[in-house]
Amino acid sequence: MTSYAYFFGCIIPNRYPGVEYAVRWVCGKEGYDLDVADIKEFSCCPVPGIFYSSDKDTWLLLASRNLVLGQKERREILTVCNGCLTSLLKATEYLEDSKRRGKVNRMLAQIGKKYTGTPRKTEGRRRIMEPVKVRHYVDVMTNDISLEEVQKRTTRPLKNIKAAVHYGCHYLRPTENQTIDDPNDPVKIDQIIEACGATSVDYEDKLDCCGAGGGVRSHVVELANSLTEDKCRNIVAAEADCIVTGCPFCLLQFDNAQKAFTKDGIPVMHVAQFQALAMGIDPISLGFDTHHVSAHSFLRKLRGV
Amino acid sequence: MGEVEKVFLSGLREKLVEDKVIDESQLEPGFAKEIVKYGGKDVMTCLQCGNCTGVCPISLKIDYKTRSIIKYCQFGLKTLTLGTQWVCATCYRCYEHCPADINPAEVMIALRHIAIREGVIPPFIKVAAANLVKYGQSVKPDLEVEKIRKELDLEDVPSRGAEYAKVIKEINVLVHAVGYDKLIGIEEEVKA
Amino acid sequence: MSSPESLEENSAQKKPERESGDEEPRVGVFVCHCGSNIAGTVDVEKVRESAERLPGVVVSKGNKYTCSDLGQDEIIKAIKENHVNRVVVAACSPRMHEPTFRNCIKQAGLNPYLLQMVNLREQCSWVHSQQKEEATRKAIALVRMGVAKASRLVPLEAREVPVEQTSLVIGGGVAGIQAALDLAQMGFKVYLVESEPSIGGRMAQLDKTFPTGDCAICILAPKMVDVARHPNITLMSYSEVEDVQGFIGNFDIKVRRKSRFVIEDKCVGCGVCADVCPVKVDNKFDLGYGKRKAIYVPFPQAVPLIYTIDKDNCIHFKNGKCKACLKACQNNAIDHEMEDELVDLKVGTIIVATGYDTYLPKKRGVYKYWEYPNVITGLELERLINAAGPTGGHLIRPSDGEAPERIAFIQCVGSRNKKIGNNYCSRVCCMYAIKNAQIIKEHASETEISVYYNDIRAFGKGFEELYHRVREEYSVEFIRGRPAKLSEDPETKSITIRAEETLLNKITEREFDLVVLSTGLLPSEGSKRIGKTLALSLSPDGFFMEAHPKLRPVDTAMDGIYLAGCAQGPKDIPDSIAQAKAAAASAACVMSGKKVKIEPLTAMVDEDLCVACGLCVEMCPYRAPELYEGEKGTKARVIEALCHGCGTCVAACPQKAIVANQFTDDQITSEIVSALEDVESGGGKTKEMAKKPAAEEEVS
Repeated sequence: MTSYAYFFGCIIPNRYPGVEYAVRWVCGKEGYDLDVADIKEFSCCPVPGIFYSSDKDTWLLLASRNLVLGQKERREILTVCNGCLTSLLKATEYLEDSKRRGKVNRMLAQIGKKYTGTPRKTEGRRRIMEPVKVRHYVDVMTNDISLEEVQKRTTRPLKNIKAAVHYGCHYLRPTENQTIDDPNDPVKIDQIIEACGATSVDYEDKLDCCGAGGGVRSHVVELANSLTEDKCRNIVAAEADCIVTGCPFCLLQFDNAQKAFTKDGIPVMHVAQFQALAMGIDPISLGFDTHHVSAHSFLRKLRGV
Repeated sequence: MGEVEKVFLSGLREKLVEDKVIDESQLEPGFAKEIVKYGGKDVMTCLQCGNCTGVCPISLKIDYKTRSIIKYCQFGLKTLTLGTQWVCATCYRCYEHCPADINPAEVMIALRHIAIREGVIPPFIKVAAANLVKYGQSVKPDLEVEKIRKELDLEDVPSRGAEYAKVIKEINVLVHAVGYDKLIGIEEEVKA
Repeated sequence: MSSPESLEENSAQKKPERESGDEEPRVGVFVCHCGSNIAGTVDVEKVRESAERLPGVVVSKGNKYTCSDLGQDEIIKAIKENHVNRVVVAACSPRMHEPTFRNCIKQAGLNPYLLQMVNLREQCSWVHSQQKEEATRKAIALVRMGVAKASRLVPLEAREVPVEQTSLVIGGGVAGIQAALDLAQMGFKVYLVESEPSIGGRMAQLDKTFPTGDCAICILAPKMVDVARHPNITLMSYSEVEDVQGFIGNFDIKVRRKSRFVIEDKCVGCGVCADVCPVKVDNKFDLGYGKRKAIYVPFPQAVPLIYTIDKDNCIHFKNGKCKACLKACQNNAIDHEMEDELVDLKVGTIIVATGYDTYLPKKRGVYKYWEYPNVITGLELERLINAAGPTGGHLIRPSDGEAPERIAFIQCVGSRNKKIGNNYCSRVCCMYAIKNAQIIKEHASETEISVYYNDIRAFGKGFEELYHRVREEYSVEFIRGRPAKLSEDPETKSITIRAEETLLNKITEREFDLVVLSTGLLPSEGSKRIGKTLALSLSPDGFFMEAHPKLRPVDTAMDGIYLAGCAQGPKDIPDSIAQAKAAAASAACVMSGKKVKIEPLTAMVDEDLCVACGLCVEMCPYRAPELYEGEKGTKARVIEALCHGCGTCVAACPQKAIVANQFTDDQITSEIVSALEDVESGGGKTKEMAKKPAAEEEVS
């Protein structure tokens, strides 16, 4: 059985604790009882829009520090965020280059760390190494656990719910190494929604950007929000009850931006929260209170009121 | 501006002056190579087909054309690129559809590197970097959220843990060692 | 320069020639200035002087242009007067003038293979133009090596093999048709093999041709009929080349004649069978827009006009219940029991004219070809505007059969795109889009047409004029920008194109009734298999590679095999015809000689050393070595006609049983040793360089 290490990143613990609760619940004793541990020394991935954008050396160094922690525990890093996924995954690719790896390791030596990758197999006395594995929550749910299993554990099918899935750019692109899903026709989150008994509605420009990434939200929030507004208009037209995403930064953008252009808004949640609901969790544990858009209407519909 | 100019040039006077002939002194010859140095692809292979602009969600919203930025890079019009690249959401749509297999998003990333080194540093970069060296996370802990964490029976956020001081120290050492503090001007925040 | 024939005659008169193999070597060295090409960098006098002092050298001369009559006379004089019996010409690449000088020394009575070329131009002066001193030193070393090898050269004899006076043309498109007709006209027998039931190829599918607007089938059909009628042409339609063995002049071909379940000699093409056939399926020829029966000819002008039963769709082959065609045919031409037939052919030359396929857009791609009915390809448009096509030439929108009022063309779909790996320009899309825009406008002048393009390539004769005409007379609009997004109106099925109009620096969104993708050209599916059978190499673009991109554009690396039409790369009809005629002429050159000369610079197997391991057979890119049962048991031998003297087998042979003529171990070692001579005898930089351990390792 694969062993994982939670990598919650920055936004989930500090802004959406309900997502963290849901993930722990789905992966823990109440759910699939995975071999998953906390590594308390993890830091920010670091966020690509800031560090990858301003200085790649710094970005690679800080990402390597996180990878070394996963390497030490021999655990696959289980990310719950597209940003963490793309940042750490790209770092493992960069570290395949021995020159870059050497440069990073000379720096890491100052804090007593070294990136080697994890051993894949031993040939005689030689160990063949492979990059530290970085996974996404959706990837683990659909490939390691399987959709049949997700369906089997659905004790409270969300029958009357229509969900609009937002994948988020860094789940899809750049396409070369992101092998979780078909980047031009992704289906995995939709499949989870369907396995939870709900309907995933199609809407125009589904694969478009939420607007937040690359520092745009921090830099010109109005611009980011205007992209979100376009997406929400299409989601409303598809009569969705909620927006479901695999990325907390997209979640944050949808959740925050909506107040800029609408009074009510559509509730936004992480796919883990949605899944936990279908597995029978008490909605109160999902921390919807911290969300800006109220989940009230959604929860009422869920109860069939 | 006089009445006549307002009516007939509809406030375009300044634009007319700005858009005068570009002379060679404004061009920076090795600019395309500098972009490659920071991980961008060779912009000289761009055919200027405009596909990147068409798929760019930002280009639809504001006066920003991905293709134009690449053209500036080809020309070496460095001054025109500084600042513009920060509106790229790095959605990588441009890359997926580029027939010349340039990665315009990565070119924007390289341009950001260049801008930072020219001293054009947007404030949010400093804020996030300062958070990182202080909390090990790029967002600041929120008291309200911490209260809810307690209600949900979740442990404290990592940065509150006593043993996390060691992590903060490591991050500070690395950030200083790589010279990031000096690069973006957060020397005061870093305790190496 | 003399042709091979005159060379033949000359030598016949002058025999017996001085073979000189056993005489003590007397070397003549001729160092060429090549104007300033060599002399501008290399100190030719110094080179000449140093050569003079080398052992065995009796003459050393410098020349302004050694290849000129004057230069050649000097060589002949030296052979006659100074009894020179080995000649070293230090000039340009052997690819340039080796034949010239071989011919020259042969005229003087020397065996032509007692010549050694030293490349002082391409491999010395041109590449070291900034380092004159070092270049001179290198030139001296190169000449020294040449002299060392020349002393060890032995006379060789070129062999001759008879040539079969018959040609095989693979592919019955316009290129194959033209090549077959030309060869037949010259008096050679031709087998024309086409995999489809009719010849005609892609051109038969087109409406009109650019830039003149000639109707494609109207100008092609007479040629097709000529093929069928020509006594020298054997047309094998619905057939595949299965296997090719042998070499120039002597190819053994196996052709599979697929059974069409209609006896060719009996069918008169009356079509009664098709009238009664109850099965209707999509006609591939009309790209799914028209229908045909299960027994069919693909189009009315088909050649041969013989019906074919499509086994996959025929009811008889499904359950044996239908015999409608059998009963209807008055000539008893139907034979459901017919089987494939394998035919053996012997030919002297082969012309490959396997044509192209068009690029098919990807599923769920940006241009939504598979999702939106009103997005079609350029070839589909050809069928929809063709008077003989499924709509009788009335252009309609596939979604509702209405006439489109606003049409967009999108250029460079599947071409000039690194993302999908097709980096090349398909050369015809600009002009076919412009031509089709004109045709549409001629039929319905109020139609609005926009062409989304990157660059317009109107490079051929009359092309620019047509490009001008569609703008001037027909107001076709050209938009410089590659569309980024297509979206369909769910009700009207019209399509909105979003693109950056790059010359406007603005993003535009415009609605069209019909979108035509100008899809590029790909190597045809069948050509991959043919290429393997013939051991042809491919260019990076996947099309067949010519022997030389400029000087031998119709030859392949395989002697006796030539290329015609789009098999070699995208081209339009006049270019295809021109290449077909050139290929026919090249094939005729070989066949008209009755015999073909085989270069003696080949590999030879020493049977006493050979253990028949077969490694040479595996390694050879030209299939020259083979294993055979001889007096000494199973041994390898090299078929000289196939051998290119590349030396791969020589290097691979673990028994050292293979020797390459004029590249023997002894000859090559002598060159290496002399290259390093001045290492021992002093000589500045060269010495230091040679003393590096790597260089020493090479010697040992």
